[in-house]
Parts: sequence; structure tokens; C-alpha cells
Amino acid sequence: MMHLIDELKVIPGVIGACIFSSQEGLKATNLPVIFKPERLNVVGKHLTKLYAAGRMSFDDLTDITLNYDESVVVARELERNTLIFAICDPSFNHNLLSMSFNLLQEEFKGDAFSSATAAETEASSVQAPAVKKLSQQPAAKVQQEISADLKGLLAEMKGALAKILGPMAEFVFDEVTEEWIEAGADFSRIDNLVEKINGEIGDARKAEEYRQLIAPALKNY
Amino acid sequence: MATAQDFVAQVNKVDGVAGCLLIKTDGVLLGQTLEDPEVYSTLMQIAGGQANDIKTRIGFSYCRYLSFSRVNSRHFYVFPIDNYLLGIVQRTDCYVPDMLEAVYRLIGRVSTTRSDVGELN
Repeated sequence: MMHLIDELKVIPGVIGACIFSSQEGLKATNLPVIFKPERLNVVGKHLTKLYAAGRMSFDDLTDITLNYDESVVVARELERNTLIFAICDPSFNHNLLSMSFNLLQEEFKGDAFSSATAAETEASSVQAPAVKKLSQQPAAKVQQEISADLKGLLAEMKGALAKILGPMAEFVFDEVTEEWIEAGADFSRIDNLVEKINGEIGDARKAEEYRQLIAPALKNY
Repeated sequence: MATAQDFVAQVNKVDGVAGCLLIKTDGVLLGQTLEDPEVYSTLMQIAGGQANDIKTRIGFSYCRYLSFSRVNSRHFYVFPIDNYLLGIVQRTDCYVPDMLEAVYRLIGRVSTTRSDVGELN
């Protein structure tokens, strides 16, 4: 998988690229070490949400491009739940990168590539332990029994989040709650869930507003 | 001082713009020349929020714009402007750099935070 994104790096202006799976996390990156895998993982999650939202509006969506003062981020869906994204200098050649994405997309979908992936991932684990660690996150979801009361509380918390985050609330809440449930759906760990949600909100004032909104529900539980 | 509708009307006159809309970051529609603004306004809200989050995580300083590229070439652009979001649908036959530069100049006239008007790449 690394050799595919290494080919992108040859394009003038492309700093590096990543392959991100919403289920397995960061699968490969050749960006400079200043772009830490943990941060790229979070960026991958944001881009996945953005791509999903774009797809809801436009059936024929190909790329999303975010132009910042210093750099440009370009993302393309390789297959369902898997994105490739490149970080580039503002002067990069967008058409050339798009063409390379097209070729890479074809290659990624090919059977030959799929069968080669497992062997390559194993081989690259020696060279990139940080990335390997992220990709080892379990894909299978552990099903947990949740009491009716706790389900009710979670529904209230989700409703409150909609007042803070708007249309993205459901997506964010479901994703965070799924991880929380996997680790043990117990009210004694509810503070952990609230912290995770506040992390996703990413704004201290809004996070406090959210805490106030859910406080009565938590108190009455 | 130009009203939101004046601003939208000016953006709509830019060569290459097929239609546009202006919303507040909370989703309130301020002006539009597109027939189905609700299709775009929710996406704009999400895009503005996600772009800001990525900016914070990576440490970039400012998001100039986002674009959603489509097979039919009617690409959609979102420009964060202070507490507002401008959405633009591109005409299929336009020269994109010129369109973006013209739009960016108009944004520079109304934005209170931009200082590099005219430097769009």
C-alpha cells in the first residue's frame, strides 16, 4: 500500500498522502513525521464525515478539497469507508493529482491489489510501528446489553447534542457512543462518554453548554 | 453598507458562477440565487465545522475555501467569511482560477478578518 502513496509524493507540490479507513483507522502514510499519526487519524475521521455529507448532497461527488493558507488537503473515496487524502503546497497541480487518484482508485479496487494488501501490511509493520498500531484496532464491534433506562438517557444526550452540533450530531454521537459501549456500557462510566463528546464538540463554550443541557438528565438517572 | 442580498447579487454576476447562497454559520439563510438552497445549506454548515476542526488539529491558520468536485463539473464551493458561509455552484464552462479570484475580491470587501485579498492561487 505504501508504494501507491509514494507514487503520489512524486507529484510536484504533494507533501505526502494517507490512506484512512473509518473502521481500521490510519492504514498508511508517507507524510513527514511532523504530521503525527494520531492527528492524521482525527483528520481522517473529519474528512470521512465531510465526504459522507457531500455524498448525501451530490451522488456524483469525486473529490473534496480544503484550501488553507499554508496547504491544500484533497480527499477521494477509494472504496466504501476508505479514503485517500493528500496534503499539498498551494501551488500543486490539482489535475495531475486527480488523475493519479483515478489510477490509484482503479488499482485499489482490483483483486490483485486486495490480495497483496495483507502481505504488504505485514511487511510494513516493521518499518512503521506507529501506523501498524493504529491499524490493529478491532473492526468487529462487541455487542453489549444496554438497559432501557440507559438507552433513554443516551437518547436524551443525543437530542441535546443536536442543539449544539446541528445536523452532524447524530453521526458524531453514534460514533462516539459505539466506542463507549464497546468498552462497557455502564452509567458509572458516563463521565467518560461526556468527555469524549465534548472532545468532538471541540469548543469549550459549546461543550459547557452541552454539559448544562444534559445535567438534568444525568441527575435524574 | 451592502446588504446580504446585494452581496449575493454581486457574487452571482461573477463570470462562471451558476448560482450562490449566503448563510450564517447557524444555518440561517440570508440570500440566494439557487432554486433549492436547502440542499446546500446543511452541507455548508457541516463543511464549515469540519474544515475548522481540521484546521485546529493540523495547525493551519485559515480556511480559504472548500470545494466539492463532481462528475458533472458543477463543482460546489464553500467560502467561510467571518460568521457566514458563502456557497457557490460553478458553471461547467468556466475558467476556475478567474472565477475564484473574482469571488475572493468580493469577499475581501466584506470580510473583517481577511488581509490578503487578491492573493488567491
